[in-house]
Amino acid sequence: MSKVTKITVVMLVISMVFAGLVFANGGSEAAPAAEKSKVIIGMATDVGGLGDKSFNDGSYQGLLDAKADFGIDARVVESKQQTDYVPNLSGLAEDGAQVVFAVGFLMGDALIEAAENHPDTSFAGIDIFVDPSKAPKNVEGLLFKEQESGYVAGVVAGLLTKQYASASDRLNDDNVVGMVLGMDIPPVERYQAGFYAGVKSVNPDCKVLSVVTGTFTDQAKGKEAALAMIEQGADIIFQIAGLTGLGAINAANEAGVAAIGVDVDQSAVAPDAVITSAVKGITRAVYLTIKADLEGTFEGGGNKVFGINEDTTGISSFNKWDSIVPGDVKAAVQKAIDDLKSGKVVAPASRKEAGYEG
Amino acid sequence: MSGIASILNTDLLVATIRLSTPITLAAIGATICERSGIVNIAMEGIMIIGAFFAAVAALFTGNPWIGLLAGVVAGGIFSLIHAVATITFHLDHVVSGAVMNILSFGIVRYLMVMIFGHPGTTDAIPVGLKAYQFAIPGLSKIPVLGPVFFNQTPIVYMSFVLVVLTLIFLKKTKTGLHLRAAGEHPLALETIGVSVYKMRYLGVFVSGLLSGLAGAYLSIENSVSFTEGMANGRGFIALAAMISGGWTAIGSFVAALFFGFADAFQVRMQVFKVLNIPSEIFIIFPYVATVLAVAGLVKKSRPPKADGVDFMIEKEGA
Amino acid sequence: MQITKLKPLFYTIIVLLALVGSVMYFASVFSGILLILAAAGLYFVYYGLTEGKGASKSLALSFLKSLLIPVIGVVSALLIGGIIMGITGYNPVTAYKALFYGGLVKNWSVSVLNAAPLIFTGLSVAFAFKAGLFNIGAEGQYYVGAVVATFLGLHFNMPPLLSIPIIFLVAGLLAASYNYIPALLKVKTGAHEVITTMMFAQIARYLSSIFIRGMGGGSDGPHPYVTDPILKSNWLLKMKTIFPSANYRVHIGILIAIGMALFVQYILTRTKFGFEIRAVGQNKDAARGQGIKVGRNIFIALLFAGFLAGFSGVNQVLGLDHKLYENLNAGYGWDGISVALLASNNPIGVIFTSLLWGILAAGGQYMSRTVQTPNSIVEIIKGIILFLIVAKYIYIHIGHKFKNKKKEEREAVK
Repeated sequence: MSKVTKITVVMLVISMVFAGLVFANGGSEAAPAAEKSKVIIGMATDVGGLGDKSFNDGSYQGLLDAKADFGIDARVVESKQQTDYVPNLSGLAEDGAQVVFAVGFLMGDALIEAAENHPDTSFAGIDIFVDPSKAPKNVEGLLFKEQESGYVAGVVAGLLTKQYASASDRLNDDNVVGMVLGMDIPPVERYQAGFYAGVKSVNPDCKVLSVVTGTFTDQAKGKEAALAMIEQGADIIFQIAGLTGLGAINAANEAGVAAIGVDVDQSAVAPDAVITSAVKGITRAVYLTIKADLEGTFEGGGNKVFGINEDTTGISSFNKWDSIVPGDVKAAVQKAIDDLKSGKVVAPASRKEAGYEG
Repeated sequence: MSGIASILNTDLLVATIRLSTPITLAAIGATICERSGIVNIAMEGIMIIGAFFAAVAALFTGNPWIGLLAGVVAGGIFSLIHAVATITFHLDHVVSGAVMNILSFGIVRYLMVMIFGHPGTTDAIPVGLKAYQFAIPGLSKIPVLGPVFFNQTPIVYMSFVLVVLTLIFLKKTKTGLHLRAAGEHPLALETIGVSVYKMRYLGVFVSGLLSGLAGAYLSIENSVSFTEGMANGRGFIALAAMISGGWTAIGSFVAALFFGFADAFQVRMQVFKVLNIPSEIFIIFPYVATVLAVAGLVKKSRPPKADGVDFMIEKEGA
Repeated sequence: MQITKLKPLFYTIIVLLALVGSVMYFASVFSGILLILAAAGLYFVYYGLTEGKGASKSLALSFLKSLLIPVIGVVSALLIGGIIMGITGYNPVTAYKALFYGGLVKNWSVSVLNAAPLIFTGLSVAFAFKAGLFNIGAEGQYYVGAVVATFLGLHFNMPPLLSIPIIFLVAGLLAASYNYIPALLKVKTGAHEVITTMMFAQIARYLSSIFIRGMGGGSDGPHPYVTDPILKSNWLLKMKTIFPSANYRVHIGILIAIGMALFVQYILTRTKFGFEIRAVGQNKDAARGQGIKVGRNIFIALLFAGFLAGFSGVNQVLGLDHKLYENLNAGYGWDGISVALLASNNPIGVIFTSLLWGILAAGGQYMSRTVQTPNSIVEIIKGIILFLIVAKYIYIHIGHKFKNKKKEEREAVK
């Protein structure tokens, strides 16, 4: 045998030993054995999901909270491409997960497909609308009335941009506010429509600008969009764009104007610039869904809508701006919340309802 | 509606500079690299590496200048993989570049998870280079040009200086001459006793430094944190700028400005809803321009003769 | 010799066994592997019987030899990846166990689904390479194929046996024509196809968004980043309808891909066109000297490469997704370059390297899901594999040093 062949044979043997090692357990599940007794709760996020400091991290936090309280085995997997959705969701179910979460609007079809194929596992989709007439009984959509959060944030912005502009150096006399959008998906649109309506409810003459960046990951683009609006006199920038929006907050901070965060309290990104954040209780929704399933009260086949009456939509505290925001504005915010709760005011859920062309 | 006229102002030009700076830096780097005869399509990957290390260093030391240095050095070191692969091991340049891009995504994501426990974005750095923006006394008072060119942030100033330096280096210095010869007539260069390998290593390394600087600009000057999708194709736009600029430093600079302008214009069109055109029409502008350039509309747009051509010295019994 | 008369019989049995075995295996019916092994064994036995005893041995050896560099590359990359994981605090044995169990057994169906589009783009890149061209823009042609397939899939209401081939053909041809300008520029002005096809790929990526929005539910629809689902009659046949125990998602796309690989191999080795392509790829001047029209061949080669990459998009739309998402490119064009290079541009090799890539991707997801190890390690391993295998000069380099050392030693002994 030539030397080359000898080397090949040796390498083949090495790789076979390697393969042997890999299958040493007779091909048994590769899951860590120590965790097996615990209840597994799985979560699959969208491409580039985790680490966005808003939506996805908020969902993951709910999983971690449940882990702390109920001692579950929490597993999270991030999809690398769109074709991974179904295998990840199904896979978590096959790994023995009791509840599987799909995080993100785009995973809707995959969620239904996985749920149909794993009828004994509970599935829940965040921001995913589940059609009650078609969906299997083991899947639940967790939806939020983002328009309510947007509405309350809009009231803050509408009052501060003109009437109470003297409250901070970061506010100017121009009656303009702006929104930076990521992709134009329904939850984003609900925020946008609500914000517009909120601004207009207290400041009918205010000019409300918005830019769709088409991406949730490009900071520079978010920054550029925000700056373009700041040039036009916008002094409050509402970001609804995930990581792209971090660039928008950064732009507002640098340009000496104010910003409003989204999904979770984003004050930490730029404490001086972020007035408040329009939040939705993703963390709580995830936690409650896990809790319900562990208690045997999970209800599938439809949607659970979280709104202001469940204390899952609204705005975060004012943090550093608490001393800046005038009492009148705070009173108006409280009134808006009360009106929404009592049903006296209904925040529009789409641009069409809001009469906004943006 | 005030229309297009309201967009055309000084702010638009400031935005143009802001958007074109990373492209300019990577493009002049690529010019030096390709002038030495090595094709470089790895700018995207090197930028990501540079942006990541700049942000991490700035975050842990609290000093953005150390971050800047880290980004540049990381870009340089990472680019050496391309140099070793293409020059020493004679790997096809485009292949190596494509692999570099794949590798950079994996490396950065792995390190993100390792250091921060999650992919996505890093924490915000305490101070960004934006804080060191300064107006040059006198010059910044000139109308229009003043705020555009003379009231800028550190890396933007650096990019202006580097364009000039690259121009001088390639045209006027002996090393620059040798480097260009490595890309045009490598054999002739070797016969006069200058190592083609050395010149090509130099070209790749310098382009790595510059792409790293472009990355640092994205993460610690234009932003205050690193995000995975940050480069978002800017490395490829830089390649487009270099080609549209006819493989010259000044041409790359002009093309980068042009592409930056198109991008800035596009965002403003959207803000004002001037025309209801999909933004993609503007985004593809650099790529269309490049195709037109290589199609012969830009007369001088020809690569160096030995660009991408492997050079191998047969060493008998060495 | 009695045995040679049986040649057709032997070959029929071997091909049948291999075919049925492969189909079963790809449909995630694992017993198919036994049939494939039987076919291989039978081939060696027949070869030994007809060509003499030594022949089958040397055939096996040459087979092993051709595996040398790939095996060294993959094994070393895995070792390096393992060391990286070890240093950074993950258990490489558990991780690899999950990676391969996931990729080869548990999620084998996902591996197959991942591999099919890669085979098409890999073939596209490999074919262009054979003509001395670098089709770096396969990604763009993929988009064209996918967009056209979606459009036709939405509106083309005919029996599947008629509509599916037509969709493949039309989408392929339009994807091919997407390479028309790069090909024209290459031939007329000498503009490098790396630049033009890469730029065209970026253009396709962004323009596809406009088309996707146009084919979606409109402003009132579910959301603008995905098209409506295509007609059910235009779906590719699922393997489940052939083998009830198969995974329900696997479709016959993988078989079309393999068939295409065999077809490309046939073109390259058995036709005049293929001979000319290879002649042009090896040496343009020599080819011209033989009276081969170089420009014409380059032109056709680039168009055919586009045709193949377009199939990849059709395969994904008709077979798996049944709709098209915006901004969710899986990078099949780029990965196609990788698999073509790994296979040294051999069409048959592309099948295996695509499967390897598919296994790594599917296994990586399984690994990150079950043992919570970041699957970006898979990207790093892929990069290392590429460098180790593609940079053949590394081996030649080391080989030279090794030989020279031996030489010196011998001389010293003298």
